[in-house]
Amino acid sequence: MMEMLENLPTMDMMRSEPMQLARIIIPIESAHRTVSYLGDLGLFQFKDLNSDKSPFQRTFATQIKRCGEMARKLRFFKDQMMKAGLLSSTRSAYGSEISLDELEVKLGELESELIEMNANTEKLQRAYNELLEYKLVLQKAGDFFHHAQNSATAQQREFEEHRLVEGSMDSPLLLEQEMTTDITKHVKLGYVSGLVPRDKSMAFERILFRTTRGNVFLKQNVVEEPVIDPVQGEKVEKNVFIIFYSGERAKNKVLKICDAFGANRYPFTDDIGKRYQIITEVSGKISELKTTIEVGTLHWSTVVQAIANQFEQWNNLVKKEKSIYHTLNALSFDVTKKCLVAEGWHPVFATIQIQKALQRATSDSNSQVGSIFEVLHAKESPPTYFHTNKFTSAFQEIVDAYGVAKYQEANPGLYTIVTFPFLFAVMFGDWGHGICLLLATLFLILREKKYSSQKLGDIMEMAFGGRYVIFMMAIFSIYTGFIYNEFFSVPFEIFGRSAYDCRDSSCSDATTIGMIKVRDTYPFGVDPMWHGTRSELPFLNSLKMKMSILLGVAQMNLGIILSYFNAKFFKNDLNIRYQFIPQMIFLNSLFGYLSLLIIVKWCTGSQADLYHVMIYMFLSPTDDLGDNQLFWGQKYFQILLLLAALVAVPWMLIPKPLLLKKQHEERHQGLAYAPLHSLDENIESDFSDKPHGEHEEFEFSEVLVHQLIHTIEFVLGSVSNTASYLRLWALSLAHSELSSVFYEKVLLLAWGFNNVIVLIIGIIVFVFATVGVLLVMETLSAFLHALRLHWVEFQNKFYEGDGYKFIPFSFVSIGEEDDN
Amino acid sequence: MGFILTTLHFFVIGIIASFCTRICCNKGPSANLFHFTLVITATVCCWMMWAIVYLAQMNPLIVPILSEGE
Repeated sequence: MMEMLENLPTMDMMRSEPMQLARIIIPIESAHRTVSYLGDLGLFQFKDLNSDKSPFQRTFATQIKRCGEMARKLRFFKDQMMKAGLLSSTRSAYGSEISLDELEVKLGELESELIEMNANTEKLQRAYNELLEYKLVLQKAGDFFHHAQNSATAQQREFEEHRLVEGSMDSPLLLEQEMTTDITKHVKLGYVSGLVPRDKSMAFERILFRTTRGNVFLKQNVVEEPVIDPVQGEKVEKNVFIIFYSGERAKNKVLKICDAFGANRYPFTDDIGKRYQIITEVSGKISELKTTIEVGTLHWSTVVQAIANQFEQWNNLVKKEKSIYHTLNALSFDVTKKCLVAEGWHPVFATIQIQKALQRATSDSNSQVGSIFEVLHAKESPPTYFHTNKFTSAFQEIVDAYGVAKYQEANPGLYTIVTFPFLFAVMFGDWGHGICLLLATLFLILREKKYSSQKLGDIMEMAFGGRYVIFMMAIFSIYTGFIYNEFFSVPFEIFGRSAYDCRDSSCSDATTIGMIKVRDTYPFGVDPMWHGTRSELPFLNSLKMKMSILLGVAQMNLGIILSYFNAKFFKNDLNIRYQFIPQMIFLNSLFGYLSLLIIVKWCTGSQADLYHVMIYMFLSPTDDLGDNQLFWGQKYFQILLLLAALVAVPWMLIPKPLLLKKQHEERHQGLAYAPLHSLDENIESDFSDKPHGEHEEFEFSEVLVHQLIHTIEFVLGSVSNTASYLRLWALSLAHSELSSVFYEKVLLLAWGFNNVIVLIIGIIVFVFATVGVLLVMETLSAFLHALRLHWVEFQNKFYEGDGYKFIPFSFVSIGEEDDN
Repeated sequence: MGFILTTLHFFVIGIIASFCTRICCNKGPSANLFHFTLVITATVCCWMMWAIVYLAQMNPLIVPILSEGE
């Protein structure tokens, strides 16, 4: 039996793939190509051999700067493309293979061209808008100019009668229309016309009034449609205004205020004929400009379209080159400065592929010397690599989220593929809801190809990534739904006849004493008779609590057994004898025994009170059991188990630290000389202060305290973890209660009214409540609790999880980091 | 009797499922062992749940008491 177990082939996801550390010596001329081919292969993780150098000291810093410049130009192009409303095609035309230098030149040319075009367009657009505004001023102001001017002159004349006339006025004045009787008193008004934004017009008027002490006359008129402001380029509501002023100082003040308010000024002639001439001129210029702008925009969009076709390809090329140079930066030069030395981890099965890639790179770059590939002996722990496919990768990620497995320790992800959806289903059990979940996830799975290339939102991304997890969850939920006999909380009699029937033909006792069991047990699942009865909850609660304990003890035992396999694999006998065995004894003598009692009670139908039995096993073990006796010899068996548990605790605590101390002393007894560093060891071992693999210091007190904490954690944890599994009962109860409330209080209530409208409303409320509360919230809740049970209660029995993940240099993963 | 019969059924279904998986996707010994483990784990989980619910109903201590108006 043991030989059979030992001769089994290794299981796929049980332990990390064996990894080895390799050193590759690459001649310089083929370095770029080698790294590129290794990136295509995606199975080599380069170690950074220049970690003490800053990014600017590294060899290829200039190349990376060049790539950064090109990336910047590409981002600029992307902005332009978005402005044009174009999306880059995901599979762009694989045109000619373009080299990095050519691409750099081309990108530079295109960028300057686009910038020039943009600047020109802007200038033209601005001039166009100004002309439009000018035209508006000419048209609108003409309407009220004369009327305004008359009022202004009247007001000014009045004003000047109380004032001394100031000096000469030399602004572009018009001669007044009417002369007063007093010839010496001319009313010479200057005027300014333009457009002011409507929301500022009141303030504009107020400040004008205040600064000029009421000495100006302002007339405004609204423009119906919003006008594109030349400065801002947006549509703004504006008013046409004319300001009449007299005097140089007033003119300056008016001009400054206009500038401050962003009111654009345009010249205005009083002469009607001239005005019409100007209007025609302006209209001509406007249409000219419009055509010019249109041609310019067309040209711009052609250029952008051409860029869009090639954008994806260029983008990928630049990203690829940048990553290659980053990797090249991590390599170190050897003594002769003619070769680059790379060190890195790779899985053992990829050795041949890597060597082939190296050979191909040598031949493709016409290099004289081939690359040298040698395996190194590593002191530090290798990264962990699991070969996952699209189905298992989601489950492995769930485990990795807690902690990446130490190199070659047992992977809980293997069992998680089945037990996680199973525990979810125990909490979710309803085959109607399970079918809904299944349909939803089948939709995602059937559209896999389409969705995997798209960019999805955050929540959709998570749901899509976990589609296989949800698929398994749905299938198990359908199974547990049949067991709990709940279809949207309605039971069905599918698997045979119900076991219960009335005591007599009149069924008079049914509501007081209840039914009796007349036939064989219902063959699959919970008897349908239970639903809706008064004693349903006591029965189901008892059933589900005991089920939770049984499932919990089973999973925890699985965890401890996995720790046995770990200890055997790492040839750690101490762990087997002084950790695995006492742990098994302790857990099973207490909670394994409880599980046994549960099963015996069910099989015999005894009325024993298990709480009483367990508690008095500890309080007064020598007492007679009386009515609580489930099998012969129970009292002595219990005493035996109690003693075993008591012995197990010091067995876990004391021998291991003592033996570790003895081992350490033995190992370092005859060691007067330290071994020389052999050539096979990696370069970094010279520089690391404290070698990882050797624990030179051995603090006995530290080890003892560590073991004490471990023991206490296990002992106390066995009670708390077992109780923690009761959440399986709690959530399953919550789910079934919610489901039956929605069914009875919404759907049946709406049915009872015998009104179609009420029924439709009831159905809609039922659907929304089911989807929102039960399908979304309960799914998340059960998912979370099943996850917690795995991460804490299952994994703390054996999992260390302090490894690091294998992240190979791969162009596939580079392509996925988007520059959002 | 019913218990043992149905347990046998679960056992047979487990074996059939393992064979089906072996026939459908035969990808080398390590992958086969992996699939076999998954199928057996699933079968054991399902059987445990069924067995618990069945055993609990074999000799009931509480009986259904109908509520008024049923």
